[in-house]
Amino acid sequence: MTTVVKSIVSSIKEKGFGGFFRYLKDEGYLFVVEMHYKAVIYSSTVYWQTKIHNIGARLVGVDKFGNKYYEKLENIQHGRHRWVEYAEKSRYNASQVPAEWHGWLHHITDHTGDELLLLKPKRYGAEHKENLSGEGDQYIYHSKGHALNPGQRNWTRYQPWESKAEP
Amino acid sequence: MGFGLLASKAMRPTSRLLNSANPSNLFLRTIVSKPELNKPEPSAATEPPPPDLPPRTPVAGARVHFTNPDDAIEVFVDGFPVKIPKGFTVLQACEVAGVDIPRFCYHSRLSIAGNCRMCLVEVEKSPKPVASCAMPALPGMKIKTDTPVAKKAREGVMEFLLMNHPLDCPICDQGGECDLQDQSMAFGADRGRFIETKRSVVDKNLGPLVKTVMTRCIQCTRCVRFASEVAGVQDLGILGRGSGEEIGTYVEKLMTSELSGNVIDICPVGALTSKPFAFKARNWELKGTETIDVTDAVGSNIRIDSRGPEVMRILPRLNEDINEEWISDKTRFCYDGLKRQRLNDPMIRDPDGRFKAVSWRDALAVVAEIAHGVKPDEIVGISGKLSDAESMIALKDFINRLGSNNVWGEGIGANTNADLRSGYIMNTSIAGLEKADVFLLVGTQPRVEAAMVNARIRKTVRASHAKVGYIGPDADFNYDHEHLGTGPETLLEIAEGRHPFSKLISDAKNPVIIVGGGIFERKDQDAIFAAVETIAKQGKVVRSDWNGLNVLLLHAAQAAALDLGLVPQSEKSLESAKFVYLVGADDIDLDKIPADAFVVYQGHHGDKSVYRANVILPAAAFSEKEGTYENTEGCTQQTLPAVPTVGDSRDDWKIIRALSEVAGVRLPYDTVGAVHARIKTVAPNLVHVDEREPATLPSSLRPTFTKNIDPTAFGIAVENFYMTDAITRASKIMAQCSATLLKK
Repeated sequence: MTTVVKSIVSSIKEKGFGGFFRYLKDEGYLFVVEMHYKAVIYSSTVYWQTKIHNIGARLVGVDKFGNKYYEKLENIQHGRHRWVEYAEKSRYNASQVPAEWHGWLHHITDHTGDELLLLKPKRYGAEHKENLSGEGDQYIYHSKGHALNPGQRNWTRYQPWESKAEP
Repeated sequence: MGFGLLASKAMRPTSRLLNSANPSNLFLRTIVSKPELNKPEPSAATEPPPPDLPPRTPVAGARVHFTNPDDAIEVFVDGFPVKIPKGFTVLQACEVAGVDIPRFCYHSRLSIAGNCRMCLVEVEKSPKPVASCAMPALPGMKIKTDTPVAKKAREGVMEFLLMNHPLDCPICDQGGECDLQDQSMAFGADRGRFIETKRSVVDKNLGPLVKTVMTRCIQCTRCVRFASEVAGVQDLGILGRGSGEEIGTYVEKLMTSELSGNVIDICPVGALTSKPFAFKARNWELKGTETIDVTDAVGSNIRIDSRGPEVMRILPRLNEDINEEWISDKTRFCYDGLKRQRLNDPMIRDPDGRFKAVSWRDALAVVAEIAHGVKPDEIVGISGKLSDAESMIALKDFINRLGSNNVWGEGIGANTNADLRSGYIMNTSIAGLEKADVFLLVGTQPRVEAAMVNARIRKTVRASHAKVGYIGPDADFNYDHEHLGTGPETLLEIAEGRHPFSKLISDAKNPVIIVGGGIFERKDQDAIFAAVETIAKQGKVVRSDWNGLNVLLLHAAQAAALDLGLVPQSEKSLESAKFVYLVGADDIDLDKIPADAFVVYQGHHGDKSVYRANVILPAAAFSEKEGTYENTEGCTQQTLPAVPTVGDSRDDWKIIRALSEVAGVRLPYDTVGAVHARIKTVAPNLVHVDEREPATLPSSLRPTFTKNIDPTAFGIAVENFYMTDAITRASKIMAQCSATLLKK
């Protein structure tokens, strides 16, 4: 806790009060405080924990969704030395981590996502999409013949005669 | 690495090549897998007689017909004795013996080219393998089809053929039904040694029906021979020599034959494929339904290939008596008309002239009410060009029960004599035309009216140089003919013996007279038929052993309609009608129907008559129902449903049956069997399916020869070969054909 206070004091010294406030705002602390009062307790608590965890850690990279990847090698429990701070503050989940960062985050590789992004095939490499299960009916996949598919394919294989008024 | 791969690695010795006893094999690219093929030697002249051979069945039901028993010779195929008539080729002898010889250029209905060399077999005492398709079989010949020499020869030929053949089977439309594919699997080597660049050939434009990928061509020249021999157009030919050899049209032009689609079938590779079918489906996805064609009166046997609810293509079926193995382009490519302009709901015309879809119950109730509100003799029923016998008998019974007898088939004029069956069918039979030596065509252009009959006449003319005389307007013929005149005067001249052609007829052994179906719509048809019968009598055209007096009908329904007696009683009945029931009749003169008449149109296409209709009842097309049709030679055949009906449509006879019940004049049949039983009481020949019932010899019941003939020239019955009925008029492909090939 002393380190937290120390780092706050040092950054106020460094940036001045206005600068510190802006920093807080940019980093989303104020939002989270607000959320805190709106009783989204769980996620904001985890968020505060992450923020505290971040102190003294090295920012390894930021992906194109704004997720930040941290690493801290000293004074930390083994296996907890890489983590992500999600750009999405309230509705985050693990599927928001794109493929190129997945390997780094899960200790599959030591190459960072920025390095792996260079290997992504241009022609057919698909954009990462988060898993939207449970987020609403519009995100559920329906096959092309499914009645709930709004773009349901027309399986009629003939063209009906349309009556014109006169030939 | 998956478990399967691991397992196969564990199971397999590391490499057969590395493990082999002879290490010099290592860099040798052998093409032959069996050691005995490495050094093929002609098999020993004296071979012990094989102990007991299993009985063999001839290939594809090949049959031998001995015209003269003395001409039989005996040859040995793989040691198996077989008796064949003189003049058979080695390949035919092998077929009779039950050995299928691989071939590309040989086709049993075309002349022999002998240029693909795939049919090489070993013949004892012959120094080289012989091309069996071109070699006549000689008595006592010992043919060997299974020896190393023959196998090696086939393998070599196949390697040369595949040298310049592209490896695009995965995107080729012939894939799965390709002779080259099949035979390279059966007779080819497991690899090729050709590493140079393959040749490529510019594709030719043969029109809207035939797609060409000429790089795939193996120069078998089947298409060239088909075009010049069967189709009778000199459009295709071969250019260049050696590797520069190409099939083409010499100068850029389209193939203008009504049989051009058949080159798709005879092409052994994917060089000529169907343009409308290109990349639409694979042949193994398709369900084949053996049915018959209704676009003309020939009743060609076809197979409808369908996928789900869609007709994907139409192919010919073998029937030696009718269409051999060809079909016309109209038959083959009309199928896209089955998917367009379909009537799918019962509809009633509102007072403001718009059609509104209603339920069957409402539509039938409206029709029944109107039918009861008119006088019986103001009721008229007309059946169409594509109607089956079931719907026609139901229509006739229904109209009769309403109290009227004004019911007829389209294209049948007033006073047509339907009492004598010999007066309206092709008595000679289509296959019988091949025996004829003189043809007299009266007001008929067989090339557009019945392309398969025309192909038969052309075959006869080519084979026996039969003379053809033609009376009618200028027309296209693809064989030598003599244009005698344009109108009935010429007919009179021949009948009275003033014309040189009458001597030709009386001198002929088997003369044939073919009268066009268009005559049935002339007012003076009796007089014309009397003149024709006079010619027949003088020329001895009708004898006990030969009946050469024929009528070539125009529509699929016509023969059955005449059999069932659907003949108009008077000329004026349509002009005074108040209630008109049309069963697929689209080519009647709609202006003749009075403005206050109530018109019911029952059919499958929104073609011409729907615009005059007050109520539309949707029916099934020929590809969707079981219907009986009789072709022009009197052969009864049945269609079978290949695809489901569209929308809310129903079988024709069932609609009329349901309507009769709503109208309170219930017809006494509920099943197809009961309808057939009813048909049997009227025309027994219509229930003998796939049988041709010849007509009995006519006694002269016709009015004797009068000079009461209208001198107007004979008309053209079929203006546009590609568009004759509701289905073909709805077809886009047929519209393209008539635009590009006929310039209409």
